[in-house]
Amino acid sequence: MPNGVNRWISMIGCYMTGIFPRPKELISITRDYERGRTGKAELDKAFSDATLKVVEAQSSAGLNYVADGMLRWQDPLRPFTENLNGVKIGGLARWFNNNMFYRKPVITGELSWKKRADPKIIDIEHLPKNLHWKAILPAPYTLAQLSEDNFYKDKTELVFKYARLVREQIESSVKQGFKYIQLSDPALVYKPRLAQISRDEVKIAGEALRLAIGGVSARTCLQTFFGDFCQILPEALDFPVDDLGIDFYETDIDGLKGYKFGKGIALGLVDSRGSLVEKVGELVVVAKEIIKSIEGDGVSAFFLCPNCDLEFLPWERALEKVKVVSRVAKRLREEFDE
Amino acid sequence: MSKLFPTQEIGSLAKPAWRVKGYRGERLSKEEIAEALSWGRKLGIADLDTLVKLLNGRDSAEKRKAMLEWSAKYAIRFLETIGLDIVFDGEQWRSEMYEHVARNIGGFEFQGQVKSFDYRYFNKAACIRKPLYVRPFYVEEFAFTRDSAKNDVKVPFTGPYTIVDWTFNEYYEKRLHGKVADFRQKKFEAKRDFIFDLIAEVVRPEIGKLVDRGAKWIQIDEPAATTDQTDEEMKLFVESFNETVKGFNCMFSLHNCYSNYEVLAKYACELHNCSQLALEFANRDNQQLGTGSIRSGYKELTSFEDNGFTGNYGVGVIDVHTVFVEPPELVRDRILHAAKIIDDPSRTYVSTDCGLRTRTWEVSFQKLKNMVLGAELARRAF
Repeated sequence: MPNGVNRWISMIGCYMTGIFPRPKELISITRDYERGRTGKAELDKAFSDATLKVVEAQSSAGLNYVADGMLRWQDPLRPFTENLNGVKIGGLARWFNNNMFYRKPVITGELSWKKRADPKIIDIEHLPKNLHWKAILPAPYTLAQLSEDNFYKDKTELVFKYARLVREQIESSVKQGFKYIQLSDPALVYKPRLAQISRDEVKIAGEALRLAIGGVSARTCLQTFFGDFCQILPEALDFPVDDLGIDFYETDIDGLKGYKFGKGIALGLVDSRGSLVEKVGELVVVAKEIIKSIEGDGVSAFFLCPNCDLEFLPWERALEKVKVVSRVAKRLREEFDE
Repeated sequence: MSKLFPTQEIGSLAKPAWRVKGYRGERLSKEEIAEALSWGRKLGIADLDTLVKLLNGRDSAEKRKAMLEWSAKYAIRFLETIGLDIVFDGEQWRSEMYEHVARNIGGFEFQGQVKSFDYRYFNKAACIRKPLYVRPFYVEEFAFTRDSAKNDVKVPFTGPYTIVDWTFNEYYEKRLHGKVADFRQKKFEAKRDFIFDLIAEVVRPEIGKLVDRGAKWIQIDEPAATTDQTDEEMKLFVESFNETVKGFNCMFSLHNCYSNYEVLAKYACELHNCSQLALEFANRDNQQLGTGSIRSGYKELTSFEDNGFTGNYGVGVIDVHTVFVEPPELVRDRILHAAKIIDDPSRTYVSTDCGLRTRTWEVSFQKLKNMVLGAELARRAF
């Protein structure tokens, strides 16, 4: 390893970063359910069985935090679209540059949780008590950007409204025992590839994060994907999170050099949008290059992870990618210990 | 075409239960056979006794082939009975626009189901070797349609950019291992190599065969065209279209839907030999009558004109994702509004937003019937 690196890195961990694909049996039952060939009880059981498989895949791979896989989420915004007053479920819209679609939240009135932050958003029943739990939620900026707003004065007002609602869910999750909270914010970095995001907008996203996640009693992360992370530097260094997640299939590594991070970095090095299973040795080399390039910039922890949700892959490939994530982290830890 | 506001299909129709089960060799219920007979009589299909015998017969390769022909015959008559000027066979020979092609190309291997939205998934393939032309995949269907149809025929053809965008690119990414360090650059270069190999090895040979068999008009379907809206990707899409159609003695058009038209409009005039853009607008529009600002769904049509596209338009006036049957007057107003933006009525063709495969034949029939009636009303208004 580069000289001196192990003096300042306290941890090399690994985890998942989003929605897991549904296994074959579950896909089959969801289809039957939609066509009226099976009932809600069978569907619920299939979701429970599949969630257990996702949890088992993570725990057997030795991931540091375990998530529920979000198998019931019809799209990355849907639990908010369905559980908030003041939102109508809109038409299909493309999920960034993917052949996958989400239902646009259409804001028609004052936003509030229908009851309270819905505990069913995350399936805690199937999370093992002896492991650390990770919750994954959409960030307020992405929620606002992907909504059609017919109620609030402007996007800024909507971002802050969403931030308060996200906060309610986060606090509920922390009370339930979640140790790691990730907010996913693809819209924050995707836009710059088309048109430069304004510095004011990055600052608004940062302020919304402060409202949503600042000071919570858990380790926190802002996970970005589908775009170049460098576009939100240097402002992102002041975001109120412990870790910053970077999609290295979209980010110019050279653009990260010279910044004093002072946070952990989630290395999105396993490709969730490609079926080719990465060679562990090759990713270890790339990870070391990244670590070396920002050596001395105060990064306290590294987490190996997929670059985005694994649901872009079929189930079997996703399982293989989980193993790769784990093995790369293990190899890096071994090299650091030497 | 000399007629003002010609009407055209865009692609798929739903496959009737008797076609799906008949092709699989499954036993049909009395109701399913009755449905086949009912539609057959309505469409004036001859020799229905032969169809019933076939449906009740044993599974065989001959039966499967005959099922394709019967359902194609039904679909062609369906469109012609309604009065469409330009027809195809509702893609009755194809399982689905992507899977049909991927199954017939060498070097592709299906990986499993991935989510499209909600409880909808698609079977996604990976390219694991250089694409290889194994057998014609549209030619026989086209020849049957041409021989069966009375009206002009347009052949829908899934475009190479979309096939590549919807396929895992293992072969070309692996080939660049160690040669390109930057992940982003590697993905783009691998995609580029994949597209142009696919065009050279598979797409152009198939188009050549279609043209040799008499195809006069091929519609390149590229729903993925604006999936990645960066300049380099849009240029790659344009280049792929131009390379696909280059040098053939045939008319070509482009169909694209549910996309960012502000972006597509900027590049449309760079498409060579693209006689028509068939676009989806009804999905974006409202259901009120009238022309002018009320027709909010058609505002992006202006962008194509402003950016200098000089070809024809296939203007989507029927929303394929709803059971709402557009009245002829609404269709008329949408056509008249579009014709005014285009400022040359002869450049306006009338179509559905996309294929009607998600709608029942009953709903599709009503929608298309009203599309034809609406076009007639629009002609009278001119």
